[in-house]
Amino acid sequence: MHSKAGVEGNSTKRIARLVVTLATCAMAIAYGSAFMPHGAPAWASWLLALGIPAALGGIMVLGATRERGGVGKLALPFAFVIVTLAVGFCLVLGLPATEGPGSSLFLGLPLRAAIVIYGIGLMPIVVLPVAYALTFDTQTLNAEDVERVKELGRIRNEATNSEGKTVDASW
Amino acid sequence: MVIAVGIAYFAVIIGISIWTSRRTKTARDFFVAGNGIGLIALTVASVSTSVSGFAFIGGPGLIYAVGLGAMFIVLPASVTNVMGAWVLAKRMRLLGEARGLLTIPDAIGARYRSRSAQGLSGIAILVGIVGYMATNALAMGVVISAIFGVGLSWGIWLGMSVTLAYSVAGGILAGIYNDVFQGALMATASVLVFLFILNVGGGLGDISRTILAADPTFLSPWGKLTPLAALSFFFVFAMGSLGQPQGVHKYYMLRDPLQLKWYPLLKTLGLVLVLLLYFAVGVGVKAFVTSGRMATLSAPDQATPSLLLSITPLFLAALVFSGVAAATMSTVNSFINIGAAVVTHDLPVAFGQRLKSELAWGRTATVVIAVSAALVAQHSGAMVAFLGIFGWGLFASALVPALAVGLNWEGATRLGALASIATGLIVTLSLEIASYFKIFTFPSGVTASAVALVLSFLAFFGVSWLTRRSAAASIDPDVRMIMEM
Repeated sequence: MHSKAGVEGNSTKRIARLVVTLATCAMAIAYGSAFMPHGAPAWASWLLALGIPAALGGIMVLGATRERGGVGKLALPFAFVIVTLAVGFCLVLGLPATEGPGSSLFLGLPLRAAIVIYGIGLMPIVVLPVAYALTFDTQTLNAEDVERVKELGRIRNEATNSEGKTVDASW
Repeated sequence: MVIAVGIAYFAVIIGISIWTSRRTKTARDFFVAGNGIGLIALTVASVSTSVSGFAFIGGPGLIYAVGLGAMFIVLPASVTNVMGAWVLAKRMRLLGEARGLLTIPDAIGARYRSRSAQGLSGIAILVGIVGYMATNALAMGVVISAIFGVGLSWGIWLGMSVTLAYSVAGGILAGIYNDVFQGALMATASVLVFLFILNVGGGLGDISRTILAADPTFLSPWGKLTPLAALSFFFVFAMGSLGQPQGVHKYYMLRDPLQLKWYPLLKTLGLVLVLLLYFAVGVGVKAFVTSGRMATLSAPDQATPSLLLSITPLFLAALVFSGVAAATMSTVNSFINIGAAVVTHDLPVAFGQRLKSELAWGRTATVVIAVSAALVAQHSGAMVAFLGIFGWGLFASALVPALAVGLNWEGATRLGALASIATGLIVTLSLEIASYFKIFTFPSGVTASAVALVLSFLAFFGVSWLTRRSAAASIDPDVRMIMEM
């Protein structure tokens, strides 16, 4: 028997799942609105601009959360990346279009293009993979975890061999 | 020079294939390289298979045509690798350790204790593979024809024959080591082209000023796309990356699960290097055409070939042509292997059967799948581009909720997974076909892939919630333990 809490998971996972579900609904509404007679209204893009970072952040939190505990030190890098994506998308949506022959350039690109390439495209690279590596042993996987799984595999193999058949799965 | 480099490229491929074929003795060697690939080799191979010919030919052409908005296809690379590592890599690698799994449908079958979910996801992968492979087979034909001047049909069959030879002989093991060589070649070619364009164009600032003087919209964040369309690209390519079998399947192959620690960082850096060409050629060619340094292109897809043939030194052109061949061949090899595993392993398991010699049947299936894809590429004309888009979208909508969310949520149910996979398969298939045959036109900014992915998620969450009483019964204790880690 599994307790209801066991099936539902911990509170961090529940919140992450809720965020992914709500973000997916927001994106469904945005796409649905594009089928209206005059095409997608302006707010549809804003729903995607906020829904995408929320959905990606929610999925990452869902994957990084261990059953006994939350995301630990990863909360900060997750927040940074979600905010970077959301602010980046909203800035390029909200800032006026000033691209032209006399535009100021930032690292070789007009402002809004620089936000896209350097902010959305490169900033997360500086933070996320490094955070993953630095917290790997405590948050993701350690030698003890691997040994437990190997032991589990050995027991399963012995059981399968002694029974002379593979463990069946249901339709 | 181009032919000499092309011949040298194929000679290396053949050499690696002969070496690896001697090490392939079991189905586990053939399909998951005996779970024995080191971190660096797996990273380079994964970069190589993740980047198809599109990044070298179609992508730069798309930037040239629509401007910076086309970057939203590759920008998600900043988060997708580490997202995949958190969501899938650990759990799939540990499932491989505990259960000896070989395939992605294996993981779905184990998660939900369901042969039907395993079979249905296998069918979705198989349908998507034919389309995706045909697109890459055609790109391979174009490049080989450009190098050796043999014509498109011979190009397709020559490329497919070489890829097939090493796929049959050495399976994924040959594929991995060839991918390492091909990935290194792609990264080198990409960096050199990037530096060359910056040098010729006088730096990114001068390139931007040239474009802004003639076509400011090109360097606006969305380019000539609508914001909804550009953001849709980001969503589909970010979330969809979790369902691309050529990347996800690699998680099984890492020798030591603890080496996953550095995998996302190294893969992200590798992808950035390989994708430099995507950005540089698209933007650089636009500036060169605007300034009159290059002639106007006959078609956007000519951006890379025209640049190579009109401006770059011959050796660099030869290197990039080999890089494109490498990108397509590595992707095709990976898909041949995954498709063969579905035919010889997942579909028999779905019907409660196991083939006696999965290795021999795997080699046979490899030939059948490769020949089918080459025939489709040769005879489908304009439909090939449609098949490529269809394949990518199908993998995303059919696999992401059931696999990526399902492995991280104990409340997901077997029926939720089946509903999600079926929704992805049916919605993608029907909407893409209706769109291709102009029965139905999508509003600006909406794609079949995005709609199918969203609906697949909603079906997954909705049906899992409705059948939540059966959730606990869907998970075996060992799978639950891995999910809780």
